Amino acid sequence: MKMRLTKKLDREGITLLVMLAVLLLLPAYFHGNQYIMHILIMCLIYSVVAVGWDFMLGYAGIFTFGQFGFFAIGAYASGMLTLYAGIPVPLGILLGGLITAGAGVLLGLPCLRLKGAYIALVTFAFHLILVPLINSDLGRAMGTGATRGLLSIPTLAVGGYSFSVVDKIPWYYVLLGIAFLSFFIIYRITHSSIGLAFVSLRDSDKLAKSLGVDEFKHKLMVFGISAFLTGMIGAFYAHYVGIVSTRILGLDIFLMVMVMLVIGGMGKFPGAAIGAFIVTFLNEALRPTAEYRLFIFGAIVVAVIVLLPGGLMGVLFPTGRVGPGERFGHFIRRTFARKPRKNGGKELL
Amino acid sequence: MTREVAEVLISGIALGSIYAIMSVGMTLVYGVSRVFNFAYGSFYIWGAYLAYLLFSASPDMSYPAVFAIVIPVMFLFGLGVEKAVCAPLRRRADWQMLTVMSTLGLALFLDNAALIAFGPHKKALPPLLEGSTNIAGFMVSTHEMVTLAIAVSIMVGIALFLGRVRLGMKMRAVAQDGVGARIVGIQTNRVFGYAFALSTALAAIAGILLAPKYFMYPLGGWTILIKAWIVVAFGGLGSVKGTIYSAFILGIVEALVGWYFGLQWPIVFWFAIMLATLAIRPRGLFGTGE
Repeated sequence: MKMRLTKKLDREGITLLVMLAVLLLLPAYFHGNQYIMHILIMCLIYSVVAVGWDFMLGYAGIFTFGQFGFFAIGAYASGMLTLYAGIPVPLGILLGGLITAGAGVLLGLPCLRLKGAYIALVTFAFHLILVPLINSDLGRAMGTGATRGLLSIPTLAVGGYSFSVVDKIPWYYVLLGIAFLSFFIIYRITHSSIGLAFVSLRDSDKLAKSLGVDEFKHKLMVFGISAFLTGMIGAFYAHYVGIVSTRILGLDIFLMVMVMLVIGGMGKFPGAAIGAFIVTFLNEALRPTAEYRLFIFGAIVVAVIVLLPGGLMGVLFPTGRVGPGERFGHFIRRTFARKPRKNGGKELL
Repeated sequence: MTREVAEVLISGIALGSIYAIMSVGMTLVYGVSRVFNFAYGSFYIWGAYLAYLLFSASPDMSYPAVFAIVIPVMFLFGLGVEKAVCAPLRRRADWQMLTVMSTLGLALFLDNAALIAFGPHKKALPPLLEGSTNIAGFMVSTHEMVTLAIAVSIMVGIALFLGRVRLGMKMRAVAQDGVGARIVGIQTNRVFGYAFALSTALAAIAGILLAPKYFMYPLGGWTILIKAWIVVAFGGLGSVKGTIYSAFILGIVEALVGWYFGLQWPIVFWFAIMLATLAIRPRGLFGTGE
């Protein structure tokens, strides 16, 4: 049993390590091409958003549509803190994440009273209501810049070194660090007993609760962690681009990240991150087709879901070994097997 | 003042009747098959576009003829969509989330198909009937009165369908207990398909009725989807009765708030009412729980 668990750890871990290795080396080929570097940076930003969303949707089974609300809160919070209060940018990014985590917990409190589709509604309402709120007079009084948006947000500066708009390489590596730190956090959580609790709650909440899993506490934690990561990356985005407006709450970006989840494979951890790379590059490749772009995207989404519901990760690892069902079985066995017998508790299997 | 309020109330009731048509379709699908249909707004806008297409093909076409063509076409379209996009997913454990995603992809597909076919500009349909009528001293636009009449007859029709017709009774049976329905020999897959098709046709009717007043553009379905969503959640997911009550309540709220505070406020009030209701009663006014 122990053996199987470590083997499973490796599969997702190896995918992550391969990704990291490839991404570390990519600038060696593209360092001259600022356009490709910019797209790679956007890929990484979206991959964190997608993974944070997948953590909620695919792992914890919470139907949430508020992720871009978190992204926007992080971006605005850090932008405003560094712009008006003169807080150093790295601290601003961290605070942006923490403020968003607070917002996530506040949003989670009412949502967790609700079920399935209702959560989708309330979280989507949260997303939709942010646009008029930011653009309103109240938003202007708070310093969001209303419809004009936040302009000239300070660029990232660590120590004496200030990141320039022209050279994307330093941005890329810092972001790579942040992104893989986020992936590592989620990897650790999904592979701990907390992660098993999430999966058990998603797959059979009644049984999980009867085994003593505290649904409220765990799901609130998911809201907090996912909001923190998404808000932090939103803050990074604000400093990278230098401008934030309600355009980041647009429906097209929202749908695109959803496509990333679908293509990568929901609930199959690094899948969402890989999906982010595929979709962002596909989006750029389809740019010449103008209005046909989203049309093609829509067709791809429907086709992928109907034909390959597991997404890319389902194709790469079709055995189901990594599947949530396995983990749930393991969780139950571990909970019931109080002490190891002579034969290692095998009769319970 | 009182006269004005009365007129606002009447237009609120007319508005509520259209919300009722489009939300009933949504709640029907959710109640019967637990499918949360994100493409609903796209069906709505495509219904209106089909009518627009017919009108531009032959300008002197009458509304009954348009309905007679659009309703069967959208019904068959819905039947096909359910077979192709929703039914294959139902065998999987995580089908509910997958159908949300696949209908979302379908919405993206249909909206952009409309964008390619009709362009981004707003288009309008001619009103059902021109002018306004004098009812007990109040001037009401004839279009709204006709809309109200159509909506009420559709509501009555649906109530009769669910209560008296075999297929309608099967739908209620499946909604109550899918496994039980299968045990007594109801072919649930077929019932899912018909419920979906019926809701598609209802969305198209709502689209045609609203297009003369609210115009249509490729992304116009999203506002409607969100509104229908709020109506359904407020009334209680899967409850047809709750949806009809909630549609009329929210229609009147929209008319009153829009008249008193301004046009951008109704949706804020809707959200506030919905959130307050869900905080006190997490399953909406008449929700069946679950």
